Amino acid sequence: MRIKVMKFGGTSVATHEARIASAMRLISAKEQGFSPVAVVSAIGRKGQPYATDTLMQMLRDIDPSVTPEPRELDLMMACGEILSSVIFAHTLKTLGHSSQSFRGGQAGIRTDGVYGNARIVSILPRSIIQSLEEGHIPVICGFQGVYVSGDGSPGAELTTLGRGGSDTTASAIGAALHAEAVEIYTDVDGVKTADPDSVKNAPTLRKVTYDEVAEIAHLGAKVVHPRAAEIAMQYGIPLWVKNTFSDDEGTEIVTREVFPGRRVTGVTHTGKLVYLQFDLSSAPDNERTLLEAKLYEVMAEFGVNLFMLNLSPMGTGFAVPRSQFPMLRDVLDGLTVPIGGATSNIYLFQIGLKASRKVEAQSELLQPLENIKRVIAELTEGCSMVSVIGHEYLQQAGVFHRVLKTLDEAQVPVLQTSDSDFSLSCLVPEADTNRVVRLLHDGFGLAEMV
Amino acid sequence: MVEVSLKVGQRRPIPIPFPNSQIQTMTPQTEFEKRRGVSRVEVRSGFAQAHLSNLGVPLAGKRLEVLEQVAKGGISIDFLKMTPMGLSFLIKAAEVDALHAVLKALNLEYSLRDGRSVVLVHAVNIRDEEGLIAGILKAAISGGTTVHHISDMHDRVLMVVESSEAEKLADTVKAAFMEAVRAN
Repeated sequence: MRIKVMKFGGTSVATHEARIASAMRLISAKEQGFSPVAVVSAIGRKGQPYATDTLMQMLRDIDPSVTPEPRELDLMMACGEILSSVIFAHTLKTLGHSSQSFRGGQAGIRTDGVYGNARIVSILPRSIIQSLEEGHIPVICGFQGVYVSGDGSPGAELTTLGRGGSDTTASAIGAALHAEAVEIYTDVDGVKTADPDSVKNAPTLRKVTYDEVAEIAHLGAKVVHPRAAEIAMQYGIPLWVKNTFSDDEGTEIVTREVFPGRRVTGVTHTGKLVYLQFDLSSAPDNERTLLEAKLYEVMAEFGVNLFMLNLSPMGTGFAVPRSQFPMLRDVLDGLTVPIGGATSNIYLFQIGLKASRKVEAQSELLQPLENIKRVIAELTEGCSMVSVIGHEYLQQAGVFHRVLKTLDEAQVPVLQTSDSDFSLSCLVPEADTNRVVRLLHDGFGLAEMV
Repeated sequence: MVEVSLKVGQRRPIPIPFPNSQIQTMTPQTEFEKRRGVSRVEVRSGFAQAHLSNLGVPLAGKRLEVLEQVAKGGISIDFLKMTPMGLSFLIKAAEVDALHAVLKALNLEYSLRDGRSVVLVHAVNIRDEEGLIAGILKAAISGGTTVHHISDMHDRVLMVVESSEAEKLADTVKAAFMEAVRAN
C-alpha cells in the first residue's frame, strides 16, 4: 500500500468550494493508486467563526481579567480541528468516497504533558491503518494529541502541539505510516523567495533544504513549521509544499546532501518589533554584569521573545514583538535593582527617554537614599527585521558591505544588524519593510531564481 | 503486541500487529520529536574580534568605507554589530594580519584581539520556547563569562567569548539546562 499524507491548512478548508478543491486532491491521489490520509487544520483564519483564535477569544471574552487555564484552552482550541475533520470527512462522503474522521488521540498520537506546546512522544496508528485497510480515507485532526500520564490517572488528557501543530501532525503521521510523501497544502504555490505582498511575482523555489526552511520560519516567514520539517528529515519522508488551488508543482523540501551548494534562498521579514537599547555606561563593570543578568532573568521569566540581541561594554539591546512590549514595559519601567557591596548603588530602570509617572513616583520614593542611578532604555518603536537567508553564501567576503550599501543608497537607516551561519538580518524602520525586501531581493538576483 | 524500538533515522519496517495487513509501520512506540530545550553545547575556536571606534561622520558612510576595504581585502566577517561610534565584527584568526594591514591603511582607531571562541548552544525550535534565549544569556552572564556578542538561529544560540572562558561557559550552560533535562 502506497500511503500519501496530505495536510490542508485553514484556507484550504475555509469554504465549501475550498473543501471540494481539497477533497479532489485526495481523490486524485487515490485514483493514482495512493492510499491518501488527510490531516486538517481548523476552518479559516483569525476572525472567522471556527478559527483557533476565534475559539480562544470566546473564552477570554467571558472576562478578560481572568486567564483561562491551559487545559481548558487546549480543549477549546481542539474543537476547531474536530469540527473541520468531521465536515471534511462528510464532504468526501458526499463526493462518493468513504471517509472517517479521527481526533489526534484516536489516531494514536501521544504527547508529553505540556498543554499548549506538547511534543509528540509516540504514535500508534492502528486505527488509521485499519481505516485504510477498510477502504476509507482517514481525516485526522491536526494540532492535537493526548497525554497519558502512566500514573494510573483515568483517561487521557487532550493536548495541543503549539504553533504549526497541524504541519507537525502531518509529518509525524507520515513517518509513522512510512508514507511515500507528505504534502502540505496551502494557498500559495510553495516556498517563495519573498513574501508576495512585498515582492509581486516572487518566484517559487523548486527545492529548499530542511535547515533553510527552518531558518526561513525562524526569521518570520509562514511556510512549513520547522518541527514538521525536522520530523520529515529525521525519518527520511519526502515533504512538499503545494497550492490547493493551482497545479503548480510546488516546493520539495530536501536534505542538504540532496541539494548541496552555496546560494541565497530568499528574503524574509518580521515586522511589528520594538527595539530597546539599555545604556549601562554609568555602572562599573561588575555591576553592569549584575544588571544584565537581572534584565535577562526577567526576560526569561516572562517568556519574552528576543530578536537582534547585542551586548557591549556600554550596554545591551534587543528587539521584542510589539505584542509583548506592553507587558515588558509594565515589568521593567520603574524596576529598582539594589546592588550591595562597596558602592551599594540602586539602579532605577526607565523605558524611554521621558520618565513615566511610575518612574517619577519611584524616584521620589527613593530620593532619601543615596547612589540612585538610572538605567535608561532608548526606545525605537515601529521596527522590522529584514533577513537574507543563504547557506555558505553569506560567509563570503563583501556580503555585509553589499547589503548595507544597498540600504544606504536607498537612504534606509539600519538600526542594528545580526547574522548567523544561515542569515544576515538588518533592523530597519517598519515603514520601509517592503521597500527593503524588494531592494535586497533584486540586489541578490532572486527574481531569476527557480 | 510486540514493541520494538527503532532509532531516529532508521527505516527498518516492522510488521504491525494486524493479521493479513499489507501495511508496514515504523514501530508502535517511537519518539518522534527531539526534546525541547538545550540538547548540546559546542565550542568553535580560532577567531579574532575587531572593534573600531570614533569613525567620524557620517557614521553610516564611514562604516561602509571600512566594510568595503575589508571586503576588497578578501576578509570574511561574522557577528557584525553597530556600536554607537563605530562597529565590531569577528574574523578567522588566520586573517588577523590581513585585517591589520587593511585597518592600518585606513588610519583608524581600532583594536584587534585574537583568542576568541564561539560557544554554540543547540536547542531545537528555539523561538518556540519563549524566554529560552534570555535564559541562556542570563545563565552565561551570571556564570561570570563576558559575552562579547550573541546571535541566534532556528536551532541554536551563538555566543562570542574569550577562548579561555569558552569551556567554562559551555559547562555553565550544560549545568543550567541539560542537568535539568536529565533530571526530568
